Amino acid sequence: MASPALRALTVAALALPGLLPSPVRAEGDEFGFQYGRYEESGGPVSRFRSTGNSIHVDSLQASGSTRFFDRLKVQVNYSQDTWSGATPITTAPASAVNHIDNISGASVFWDVSRLAHFDPAKGVGTFLDAKTFRPGMTHETVQVMASASPETRKQGDLKLSYEWNEAALDIGGGNSIERDYNSRFFNLGGRLDFNQKLTSLTLGLSYTDSIIDSQRFSQRVISTPVLADTPIESRRLFPDWSLGVHDSRQDMALNLGLTQVLDKKSLLAAGFSYSNASGYQSNPYKESLFFAPLLAPQLLSPNPDTGLLSSLVFSQYDHRPQGRDQFTWSGHYVRHFDTVDGALHLDYRFFHDNWGINAHTFEAAWGQPFADGWIVTPKMRYYSQSAADFFRPYYVLDQTLAFDDYVNILLNGDRSKLKFPAHFSSDHRLSAFGTISGGLTINKQFAKGVNLEAGIEYYTHAGDFKLGGGGIGGYADFDYYLINAALRVDLSSSFTMAGGHGMHSMHGRHEHDEHSGHSAHGGHAPAGVMFDHMLDKADGFMVGYRYMYSLQDGDMLHGAHSTGDAAIVHNACGGGCSIAPQEMAMHMHMLDLMYAPTDWLNLMLMPQFMDMDMTLRRLQGGIDNGSGGHHHGGGSFGHETGGVGDTGMYALFKLYDAPGHHVHMSLGLSAPTGSVNRKIDGGEFIHYGMQLGSGTWDFKPSLTYTGQLERWSWGGQLSGTKRMEDRNESGFAFGDIFQTTAWGSYKLTNWLAASVRGVYTAQGKIDGRYIGPHGASGPMDFPASYGGQYWDMGFGLNATVPDGRLKGNHFGVEWLQPVKDDVHGYQLERDGALSATWGMAF
Amino acid sequence: MLLFSLGLCLAGCTTVAPWERGLLAKPHMALEPNHAQHALRGHAYGSREAAAGGDSAAGGGCGCY
Repeated sequence: MASPALRALTVAALALPGLLPSPVRAEGDEFGFQYGRYEESGGPVSRFRSTGNSIHVDSLQASGSTRFFDRLKVQVNYSQDTWSGATPITTAPASAVNHIDNISGASVFWDVSRLAHFDPAKGVGTFLDAKTFRPGMTHETVQVMASASPETRKQGDLKLSYEWNEAALDIGGGNSIERDYNSRFFNLGGRLDFNQKLTSLTLGLSYTDSIIDSQRFSQRVISTPVLADTPIESRRLFPDWSLGVHDSRQDMALNLGLTQVLDKKSLLAAGFSYSNASGYQSNPYKESLFFAPLLAPQLLSPNPDTGLLSSLVFSQYDHRPQGRDQFTWSGHYVRHFDTVDGALHLDYRFFHDNWGINAHTFEAAWGQPFADGWIVTPKMRYYSQSAADFFRPYYVLDQTLAFDDYVNILLNGDRSKLKFPAHFSSDHRLSAFGTISGGLTINKQFAKGVNLEAGIEYYTHAGDFKLGGGGIGGYADFDYYLINAALRVDLSSSFTMAGGHGMHSMHGRHEHDEHSGHSAHGGHAPAGVMFDHMLDKADGFMVGYRYMYSLQDGDMLHGAHSTGDAAIVHNACGGGCSIAPQEMAMHMHMLDLMYAPTDWLNLMLMPQFMDMDMTLRRLQGGIDNGSGGHHHGGGSFGHETGGVGDTGMYALFKLYDAPGHHVHMSLGLSAPTGSVNRKIDGGEFIHYGMQLGSGTWDFKPSLTYTGQLERWSWGGQLSGTKRMEDRNESGFAFGDIFQTTAWGSYKLTNWLAASVRGVYTAQGKIDGRYIGPHGASGPMDFPASYGGQYWDMGFGLNATVPDGRLKGNHFGVEWLQPVKDDVHGYQLERDGALSATWGMAF
Repeated sequence: MLLFSLGLCLAGCTTVAPWERGLLAKPHMALEPNHAQHALRGHAYGSREAAAGGDSAAGGGCGCY
C-alpha cells in the first residue's frame, strides 16, 4: 500500500522537477556510478514529542555516455531513490493534540481535539499530564509526526549533444515515476563560445509535465476516517473531503548563463533563471489547522480558573496558489592559487518568487590536489530564506465564535460563518529559516582512467539561522548527513588517460592493445553466469556493471502444480490466509570490481543495490485472521522496498589452464550489508522475500570450467550459498542454495556470440521466523513457503567491441526462461529473469 | 550582471592564449568538478528548501522525501 505519511513529503511544490539542462562540453566515453545515503535526524526534545525526524534515503545513479562521429554525444542516465522513516505531517499547539507521535501501523497516527483547550490570542493552552494526571499549561508548538513504508522513485533520461568548434546544442528528455507522481520532461540547450573561447554563453529551456495521483491518509488530522463509506455527517466539516488527488502540474524554465575566463587562473560564471509552475502546487497529504476562539461560558470558555479561552479546531488540506513564478540570479567565481595548486570556488545565489520567498545561498569550496591523483575538497554552505506570505505553522481565524455558533457548526455542520484564508500551508519548508552545512569530498584519479570519489556533508536547519532573525520556532529544527561514493570510468581511457581532459591525451595509442587484455579466451559466458572468467595478467583491473530483473506473476503453485484460492486459504497460513501475492518484481544493480594481484589469483568486490515491489490480492473466501493485519485497504495494494543489498567479496584461483580449457574456483563471503529490518508503516516486518539482504554472513564457493574451439565455446559451473549463521538479527535465515549450470556459445561474427544454457537450482526453506510483529496474512509471510527446486533455460547474446575507441568493452544480455518449478509450500510461479552486463578490463 | 561581466572581459581579459589555459583546465578548476555529487546534494536541498531550481540539475519527478 502506498505510504501516505511518506508521500506527505513526496509531491509538493517545493522540489522543482526537470529543470534547466546543462549544456556541457562533450567529453567522451564515460561510465559513472554513484551511491548516496541521506539520513535525517534531530527534531527537538520535548515532553510532547518522542519521535524524531528519521527519513533516510538510499540513492543510486548510473550513467553512460559515448560519442559518435566524434561530435555527437549520447548520454543515458538512470537514478532511483528509496526512502522511508518518520516525518512531520502537520504543526499544532501542543495543548491541542492528544496523540502527538506516530503510532505504528496505519491506525490513528495523531488526534487533534475538535474543541481544544488552547487560547489563540494568548498562545497558551492547558493539558493533562499523561503520567501524573495533573493539569499544566504550555506555550509549546510541536510537529506531528508520521511514519511509513519504503517508497521508490525511478528516473531515466537521455541527452543528445552535438558539438561544433565554437558551439554546442543539446536536446534531452526523460521520465520520473513514483507511485503518486509521474513526470515527463524535455529540455533544449545551447552553448556559444566566442572571443577565442574565453567567453561562453548558454541558454536552456525546459518543460515538465507532471501527473499527481495520490491517495489521502486514511485519517484526517482531526480524527475522522477518510474512507469511501465514511458517513456524510462526518464529512460535513471538511469542505475539501476527498479520497485522493488526481491533478496535474506544468513547469517551464528558462536558463541563461555566461562563463568568462578572466585571466590565466580565474574565471567567472553568472546565471539567471526563470521558471513558471502552473497547476497543482500543494502537498496532497499535509493539513493545516485553524483555531477559532470560543466565547461560551456554558463550555467553560473562558475557564473560570485560568481565564483562558478554548477554541474550535478545523483542518483543511494544504492549499497553495495554483501558479508560481521563480527567479534566480547566481554568480560563481573560481581562482587558482599557484603556491599550493589549490582552487577557490565562491558561489552566491539569490532566489525570489511571487509567493513572497526570498532566499540567499552562499557557498565556498577549496579544491586541493595532492600527489598521486588525490584531490581533497572541503566545502561550506549557508542558506537562508524568508517565509511564503501564506505560510503559518497553524492559523488563527480572525473571529470569535459564540455558543450558538458552536452548536450550529458542530451539530448542523454549517460552516458558512467561518472565514478561512484563500491560501494556506503549514509545510515547514515554506517557513523562514536558515541552514548551515559543511562537507568534504575526496577524489582519487587512477592512471587507467578510473576515478573514485567519496564525500560527506552534514547539514543543520534552524529557524534561528535565518539571516536577520525572525525564523520559525525551534520545534522545526532538524539535521541530516549525506554521504556519497562514486566511480567514474573513462571508457576510452587508453586515449585520454585523465578523465577526459584532452590535455592529457598524449599518453598514446600504442598502449591500447595492452589495456584491452582480458582472459575470456575469446568467449564470454552468458550474462547470468557470475565468476565466469579471470583476468590473466598481473595488475589487471576490471570494472563491470550487472543488472538483473526477475518477475513472478504466474499462478500460485503448491509443489509443482497450480493451486486454487481455497487451498491457499485453508492450508498455507495455519490460521487461514486472506491475501496472496499477485506479482513480485525484483531489480538488482551490482558493481563488479575485479583486480588481479597475480595471474593465478583475482580478487572481486561486488556491492549490490536492490529494489522490489510486490502487488497483493485478496483471496476468494479469504479469512481475515486479524493477526496484526497491516492495512491493505484502499485501492492500490502492495509494497515497495529498496536500498543497499549484501556485499560480495571473493577470491578466484586458477586451477588448470591449457589451450582451450580452463578451470578456476572462487571462494567468497557475502557480508550482510542489506537490511533485514524493513517494516511496513514503521510497524510490522515486511514479507521475508522483500528484505534487502540475507542478514547472515554467507559462504559462497563456485567451481567453473570453460572451453573453446574455434567459433564454439562452452562451460559449466557448480555454485552454492551456505548460511554461516542460524539466525539473522531479525530471527531467521534464508535456505542454503545449490546451483549447477552448463552452456554452449557460438560466435556469429567477430564481435557477437549467441548462447544457450540450462540451469538447475535448489534452495531450502527459511529457518526460524521474525522476532517481532509480523502480519501473517498470506503465504509469503510463512518460512515454509520459501525455496524449492527450479529448472531454467537461458538464451543470451554477448557482444565485444572489436576496435575503435571503445575496443574491449563487453556487453551481455540473457533471458532465463523457467521450465519447471517445484516449490516449498505455496508460492507464486516465476515468469522469467533478465540479466544484462557490461564490463571493461584495463 | 551578464553585460557587466562581458564588458569586464572585453576590456581586459582577451589575452589568455590557448596554451596558457593549463591551470583553467585542471579538474578542480571546473565549475562543477563532481557532477553526480552535485546532483545528489541539489536533490536533498531541493527537498528541504523552498529555493530549488536556478541550477543545472536536470531531473524530473519529485522524490522529495
